[in-house]
Amino acid sequence: MIWTIATLGTLVASFFILSVLSMLWKDNPVFRIGQQAVIGAATAHYIVLNFESVYKNALKPMMGGNLLLIIPLFLGLLMYTRLKKEASWLARYPTAVLVGVGTGVMIAGTLRGQIIDQLKATIVDILNAPASGGLTVFNTVLILIGTITAVTFFTYTQKHATEKGLTLLGWSAKIGRIFLMISLGANWSGELVWYLTQLIGRLTYLINFAKLLIGG
Amino acid sequence: MSYFFKKQLPIILASLAGVLMVAAYFLPWQPLQDIKGLMTNWIVVISAATVAMGFVYMTTAQIKMYQKNKTTLQLIYTITPYVFFTGFALSAVFYPGGSQSPEYQWWFSNIYSNVGATIYAIMYFTLASSAYRTFRVSSIEATALIAGGMIYTLRQIPLFQVYTPWIVPLGEWFLLVPNTGGGRGAVIAAALAALVVGIRTLWGKEATLEVQG
Amino acid sequence: MSNNKTIWHKLGNIDYRWLYALSLICTIIPILYPLGLPVQVSGGTIGYFDAIDKLPAGSVVAVSFGASAQLLDEQEAQFLATWKLLFQRDLKVLFYNPLQDGTLMLQTELGKQVIPASYGKVYGEDYVVLGYAPLGEAGEASMGINIRGVYTTDWKGTPLNDLPMMKDINSAKDIDLLIFVYTSCTDVEFPIRQWVTPYKTPTIIATLGCCGPMAAPYYPTQIQGFLSGSGMGTELEVYGRVPGPGAAMSDAKNIGVLPFLFFFIFGNLSYIGNRYKWGVKKQ
Repeated sequence: MIWTIATLGTLVASFFILSVLSMLWKDNPVFRIGQQAVIGAATAHYIVLNFESVYKNALKPMMGGNLLLIIPLFLGLLMYTRLKKEASWLARYPTAVLVGVGTGVMIAGTLRGQIIDQLKATIVDILNAPASGGLTVFNTVLILIGTITAVTFFTYTQKHATEKGLTLLGWSAKIGRIFLMISLGANWSGELVWYLTQLIGRLTYLINFAKLLIGG
Repeated sequence: MSYFFKKQLPIILASLAGVLMVAAYFLPWQPLQDIKGLMTNWIVVISAATVAMGFVYMTTAQIKMYQKNKTTLQLIYTITPYVFFTGFALSAVFYPGGSQSPEYQWWFSNIYSNVGATIYAIMYFTLASSAYRTFRVSSIEATALIAGGMIYTLRQIPLFQVYTPWIVPLGEWFLLVPNTGGGRGAVIAAALAALVVGIRTLWGKEATLEVQG
Repeated sequence: MSNNKTIWHKLGNIDYRWLYALSLICTIIPILYPLGLPVQVSGGTIGYFDAIDKLPAGSVVAVSFGASAQLLDEQEAQFLATWKLLFQRDLKVLFYNPLQDGTLMLQTELGKQVIPASYGKVYGEDYVVLGYAPLGEAGEASMGINIRGVYTTDWKGTPLNDLPMMKDINSAKDIDLLIFVYTSCTDVEFPIRQWVTPYKTPTIIATLGCCGPMAAPYYPTQIQGFLSGSGMGTELEVYGRVPGPGAAMSDAKNIGVLPFLFFFIFGNLSYIGNRYKWGVKKQ
């Protein structure tokens, strides 16, 4: 086997994969070193890419005449005042812009995109369902029940139970909880298969490297 | 005056920015759209400019960990991230192309991608062992969780798609009917909560802008 | 006292390192000896494919490529199949990266795994890569209003006005389809709020397996199709006839998941056996 930079890279990568997998036996220094390596790598990667973004999207246009960009650049630098207690109040200004703009764009889209359109979709489906047959009607009614009961599950301003037992809201919340549990189960399932796929990817990498070593 | 500049003016700025964004969304007036475009672009620049904070927080955390446990092994753990940080940074600075250079790609592919991916891979074992210990059909809700989880898991595995073909339409049904019902309810509830918190933030009632000091 | 030695107690307390070992072995076997089982295609994948397939020639597709290099195993099949489908057709493709990893992944994956030139595509005329900017939701909103407000150059530093493809593209009104690739489950709300709701831009999404169920409520009214995990990436490879790495991934899951399923059954048998005291004589 000819050792090139690429092969050396594969060796280093395989070492780190095995070091992290060694955690399955027990926590050990080799795993910790792998963990710390990725912390340093991720921090560096974040800084390098963001520095390039600042240069490309702010400094270069400023040098080209767009001097208005000095305002957000200055605000971004004000964030560093958080590190000094006496001056940390200055960091409220960039935070204010971030929070204000972020909240504003979120609110505007939320009302229509996530409340009105979602309710509309549920109701329109029910109105159109009879044309598609009995199963579609059943499914759309079930979605409506799930939607309403799941919303009532998150209602905390009214009591769900009295001394006599569950209230109507309580029963609705109980049914909603079942729908939410099914959703959580589906999410959990997606995670399980995702992590299994990651494991397959890493084992495939190791097997291919082993084949490279054996094959020369 | 000091209270105004330290507390009130930031809140006024946040409220003004937020109201402008909401107004631009609903009113098709070009100057408002231009302001929205400008301010949303500024967010991108502000976010990028806070580039070095990650390094500061990493250093603070590493120093704290070493101070709690002053051993040779902990010192090695503390130095390790800086070794790799330096390798990345130098490959971006000294080779033409910066982050697009083959040298940077080498560090990126072999260390960052692989180690990060393996950490997700070992999560499979954590998730599987915790499910073995805790997923029990002990109540209706637990059974619903298990039913949704197991059926959708089996639907994704080709072995079960071939030998128990009914699992495919059943899994799809679970995803598109009860999951959608519950999911829509959660989306609407979360959206209502986000609206309330958002309006309180723009009103200056939320503590989001409080910075220690 | 005797309950501690029942089979039900033992089934519920197996050392979990057995599960680890069996999972490792059962995952390695199909990697070495593939089973080659077929996959079934779901509605979300068909919707995703149709959204691309039904675009008229010359349409503009914006790809918000928020993928992570650490999650390549989960999403590689999705985006390789997507790019092959896009480049097979007469479409204009605009890539932009809201996450750091995207540009580097495009360099390795787009440059080596899917080569646009092999489809007759020319950079600057048929596809453009804008590069990385930490967009977030506000940035996506900004892209919809004025692309040049966020990006003045492409990833190599070429001014956008110098790229022939970008001549008539500057906002959501010029985009015919948005493909939103993301890895954080709540990010599905960004294109819904900032592209679909204000501009009614047709949108399809590609994400991790765990995020698919959270995107399902938006399908098919607000998003026309979705890919959730490598499994649906494999489905796209099959349905779109664009073979890729997904088949091997899906195949290896077949046996890899079995130890977990058996242990799960043991755990519940243990619970039920202990609860109803199976095999314990009533005194």
